[in-house]
Amino acid sequence: MKKLLIASLTFFSSLCAADIAVIAHPATVDVSLDEVSRIYMGRAGSLMPVNLPEGHALRDQFEQEALGRSPAQMKAYWSRLVFTGKGRPPVEVDSVQAKIEFVASTPNSLGYVPASEVTDQVRVIATIAN
Amino acid sequence: MVSKIKQLSLGVLLACTASAAHADIRFNGFASIQGGSTLSSSDRLYGYDNEINFKNESLFALQTQADLGDRLSVTAQLMGRGSNDFNAEFEWAYLTYELTNQTRINAGRLRTPFYRYSDFMDVGYAYDWARVPSSVYNLDFNNLEGVSLVRFGQLGTVDSSLQFIVGSYNGTTNITPAPADLSIERVAGLTWELTQGNLSARLAYLTGKLTMVDQDGQLTGLLDMLSESGFADTASQISIDDARSTFMGLALGYDDGSMVFSGEVVRARVSNSVIPTQNGFYLSAGYRVNSFTPFVSFERRDNDSKAEIYQALAEGNPFKGAVAGLVEDFSIKRDTWNLGSRYDFHPSAALKVQFSSQKDKVADRRDQLLTVGIDLVF
Repeated sequence: MKKLLIASLTFFSSLCAADIAVIAHPATVDVSLDEVSRIYMGRAGSLMPVNLPEGHALRDQFEQEALGRSPAQMKAYWSRLVFTGKGRPPVEVDSVQAKIEFVASTPNSLGYVPASEVTDQVRVIATIAN
Repeated sequence: MVSKIKQLSLGVLLACTASAAHADIRFNGFASIQGGSTLSSSDRLYGYDNEINFKNESLFALQTQADLGDRLSVTAQLMGRGSNDFNAEFEWAYLTYELTNQTRINAGRLRTPFYRYSDFMDVGYAYDWARVPSSVYNLDFNNLEGVSLVRFGQLGTVDSSLQFIVGSYNGTTNITPAPADLSIERVAGLTWELTQGNLSARLAYLTGKLTMVDQDGQLTGLLDMLSESGFADTASQISIDDARSTFMGLALGYDDGSMVFSGEVVRARVSNSVIPTQNGFYLSAGYRVNSFTPFVSFERRDNDSKAEIYQALAEGNPFKGAVAGLVEDFSIKRDTWNLGSRYDFHPSAALKVQFSSQKDKVADRRDQLLTVGIDLVF
């Protein structure tokens, strides 16, 4: 029964996988999705990425769709950089709302949010459609 | 010397953390708890025997990084290894200055970048195997005191990471048959790592001046006797004194999210010494299925001894036997198969099971080992 419930929830949530909007401070120029992925992997220092907490469904979806990696793979990836002084993971905020506020008030920052929750405080620079 | 550096590093760390009251200080850590046993009573491998041992490869590490502002930070990593009774030592302790977004300088005690996984070889969580392949990762002096410059960049669609490093090392080693005091002066090296999509490649080239003195004095005694008996040439071909050394490594990797391949080949030379050319490589393939990553890998170590050193001595030379014995101690030919799996059972922890079977072609023996372990990051 429990398994069935989990299975149906998974099915339901995959049906509901929302479009993701990559947002930036209004003064930021457009960047490609490739560049966004590079920034979130710590390979390009041009903009400051903002993340959601571990285990957040939208973060898992973004990492899978934009970076092509599961949460465990991302954790392993960052553990290769964190312990060697070669990089540090993006800063984290607690919620989508907090992220929009952070990006709106921080020049050169960017984040990802559900496309339906974008406000006019920020600019959409790319969209991951589902 | 080493303990002085430890005190110095601790001093720097404490001074920096104490004075920078407003510094942003963060802690990270990792741990491995690994237990294992060989499959039969005569087998010996990687420090294990036929008694189950949970200490040999277990380790705990705590890292602190203090951001001092204005692009300056200080990082120290304290690690306790089970093989050393969990006595904590500073594995890393360095200052970082970010020259630009893409260029940073690290100074202090650093990891010597011999191998692709050198930087995080102790962080088991970062890779799928139970341990890095010992046929390649066989140097037991992994750190140095020095300065490194890392530059990140892009060449078209290829990400590039270029590292220059200079420094020196003083310590002990077991790569010789008996423990030896080791110093490597004037270490200079270059590594270049390229990544494009699922593919990555890495080149490493390092040089240095190597001096080794065996602690039990057997080698030194033999060298003295050779010199006094008119065989100074032979002595100089054996002694490891300010010997020019080079290290080369090439690594390739592929990871598309489900298939994982990696391979690495290394060669090290120590000219004018008894140490022969050191050759090693491994190939590894894995396949991710949900939280499981089963893998298989093959490793080879192949060091031909410098037989010409004793072959040049006439038959009946009283030293020939001793010299031949010493030289042949450096002959190593080993093949190892590994079969295992990683299981990501928790967001911060992975369970690993690995079976290793090593054929030693010089000693003509096979040793088999089974280990089970958990790797964590926090």
